[in-house]
Amino acid sequence: MTDPAVYLEKLAVFSRILRAEGLNIGPGQTEDAAKILTILGFQDREQVKTALRTVYAKSREEQLLFDKAFDGFFVTEEVLRKNAMQEAMRQSQIEQNRIDARQQLEELGLSEEQQYTYAAMPEEVRQKLRDFIKKYRDNNKRNPDLYAGFIHSVFAKTLLEQHIRMEDAAVGCQAHDPEMGLLYRDISQFQDSEIPKAISIIQTVSRRINGELTAKRKRNGHSGKLDFRRTIRKGLETGGSFYRLQYRKKRNRKKTLVILCDVSGSMVQFSEFALRFIQSLNQASESSRVFLFSEELFEADAFSLQNMDLFRSYVRDSGVYGKGTDLGNAIRTVLQRTPPVLNSATTLLILSDTKTVDQPGAAEAVLQAKRKAGKVLWLNPIPQSQWKHLKGPQLFASICPMLCCNTLNALAEACRQLTLS
Amino acid sequence: MNIDQLKEKMDQAHYIYDDTLATVLSVALQLGRPLLVEGAAGVGKTEIAKVMAAALDRDLLRLQCYEGLDESKALYEWNYQKQLLAIQVNMGQKESDELTRSLFSDEYLLERPLLQSIRSDNPVVLLIDEIDKADEEFEAFLLELLSDMQVSIPEIGTIRAKSLPFVVLTSNRARPLSEALRRRCAYLYIQYPDLEKELAILRAKLPHVDDRLCVQVAQAVQMLRSSEAILKKPSIAETLDWAAALDALGIRDLTPDALLKTAGFVLKNSEDLAVLEQMQQSQEPEQEQHCGHCHPHGGLYD
Repeated sequence: MTDPAVYLEKLAVFSRILRAEGLNIGPGQTEDAAKILTILGFQDREQVKTALRTVYAKSREEQLLFDKAFDGFFVTEEVLRKNAMQEAMRQSQIEQNRIDARQQLEELGLSEEQQYTYAAMPEEVRQKLRDFIKKYRDNNKRNPDLYAGFIHSVFAKTLLEQHIRMEDAAVGCQAHDPEMGLLYRDISQFQDSEIPKAISIIQTVSRRINGELTAKRKRNGHSGKLDFRRTIRKGLETGGSFYRLQYRKKRNRKKTLVILCDVSGSMVQFSEFALRFIQSLNQASESSRVFLFSEELFEADAFSLQNMDLFRSYVRDSGVYGKGTDLGNAIRTVLQRTPPVLNSATTLLILSDTKTVDQPGAAEAVLQAKRKAGKVLWLNPIPQSQWKHLKGPQLFASICPMLCCNTLNALAEACRQLTLS
Repeated sequence: MNIDQLKEKMDQAHYIYDDTLATVLSVALQLGRPLLVEGAAGVGKTEIAKVMAAALDRDLLRLQCYEGLDESKALYEWNYQKQLLAIQVNMGQKESDELTRSLFSDEYLLERPLLQSIRSDNPVVLLIDEIDKADEEFEAFLLELLSDMQVSIPEIGTIRAKSLPFVVLTSNRARPLSEALRRRCAYLYIQYPDLEKELAILRAKLPHVDDRLCVQVAQAVQMLRSSEAILKKPSIAETLDWAAALDALGIRDLTPDALLKTAGFVLKNSEDLAVLEQMQQSQEPEQEQHCGHCHPHGGLYD
């Protein structure tokens, strides 16, 4: 690496890797990086890392992505050799497992992807599946029509779960950061001790969004009507000449928000966080009505929701907590209310993981609500990578806009979109 | 200026730094890029500009940003009153074209920090503090200055920098800054200092304070920052204030009583103070259980 041309070429490759990681890298940054490396040299790895981070990463989030990319790219020869050896061993093991799978599980007719997932599974899970096959092999021979489908479905389910787990394991490096980790970690994985910090993060992020929205509102310009009083007053500064005309500000019209909050068991945590976000965004809506639902529907009164610290006990007292979910029933009940809850000036916000009984009925109810409300928006705490494996998100996402909100960061982004719309 | 020279200068300015900070500052200086510093309130972002001014032996020009800040407060403004007077005095004595031209000359130009920084004969350190408080229009307006070190004034034309200022922008991340602004800057994120660094800062800034008290204060502050229940984490400035207050009160040992009496210097809202009291109460029975006969110790302040 003594020839400058060699490390400049490497630097160009590194810039491409950073772009692939999502960093906004232009030629200017690569040029700066080259300049600074020419000055600093490569003697001190940590110094090089800090210098390149200063040039390439332009936010805390980008710094974390940069660190991951740097540690993976600039490695010593020893580490490189060790990693290559480990990877070669892993690949040969997986290949061997695939050959075994093809021989042992021939009768199941697994696809290439399923074979790969099976080969990458831990040995104990594979052993369980082999035992299962062994157990039902005789039954399968006796009555293939009855058992073949059953065995295949059990197999496919286990493989799908494993596939999802493998995708989840590849979480972003931000989730491991002690300071920002909570912002990027799946809400369902929060521990009780982390909830106060999560609430504090929600408050901080809400303040940031509020600031952003205030600035945006100001940028929206004026109403076009002259403000005589302010124009005359401003004119006094320039000796009575009306140097700059002052206009009246545009009135900001906000929509009415109707929130349908799933509070069935695992959804309470997410619903609480989402409501905290929405309530702390002072421009989210002019007024809002919150309905809690599981199998039944219950309208939460605004005073009770003012203190969100008591939200959980309030939900427990409401009698709808911890039951199953019937979204269709909840929406139909809302639609039957008089005076009507939904109209063209309302935005219906559904906070649910789409797991409900009678999905076709629920889909029909969402369609009806969509016709009545000005807009319907769905906040879903299930990671988007899993939607393709689940029927619920696919069905409802085809009816109304659905935003993935499995992390606080995604939830904040969804709330920002909600207020901007 | 290389890293070693910069470190030497910062040592002379009695500034406590780590290798990361020194490298980042050196990179920004050598590339001639503005430095964008982000971090929680009170971690020492503004201090960096002050120290760089001292280390580089330059004047510090500060532009404090706020909502509604515009170019007339940041860059330049015409002295309207003086222009009006000049019109009345010179009416009939000068040709109208000549009079108009003379009205837009340096004589009537009020320089604000941004213009001052690039028209100064000697290079300065320009601190643009809390840029996140300014409007996005102002942020866009800064781009020309930050990338080309020049500004355009419609009545005069383009003014190029006589000397290149070292620009430090700070942000508390109250709102996200634009990509365009970030791209033009070198970036530094400052976190709260660890125990050793905080202790070193206390010793450097308050050399007269008893070392044992400094250790206790630094440990207590670290404990408060690591507590999830404390919403507003204490800043370095608050740590210094607290240690100075304890010293001024003649307190040499951070006992539970002293901690509670002076907690207002380090925790600035009632919820956090209530949490501290709860933490103290929950520790007291444990201490009594361990050595009920002697002066309570341990926990936060030991």
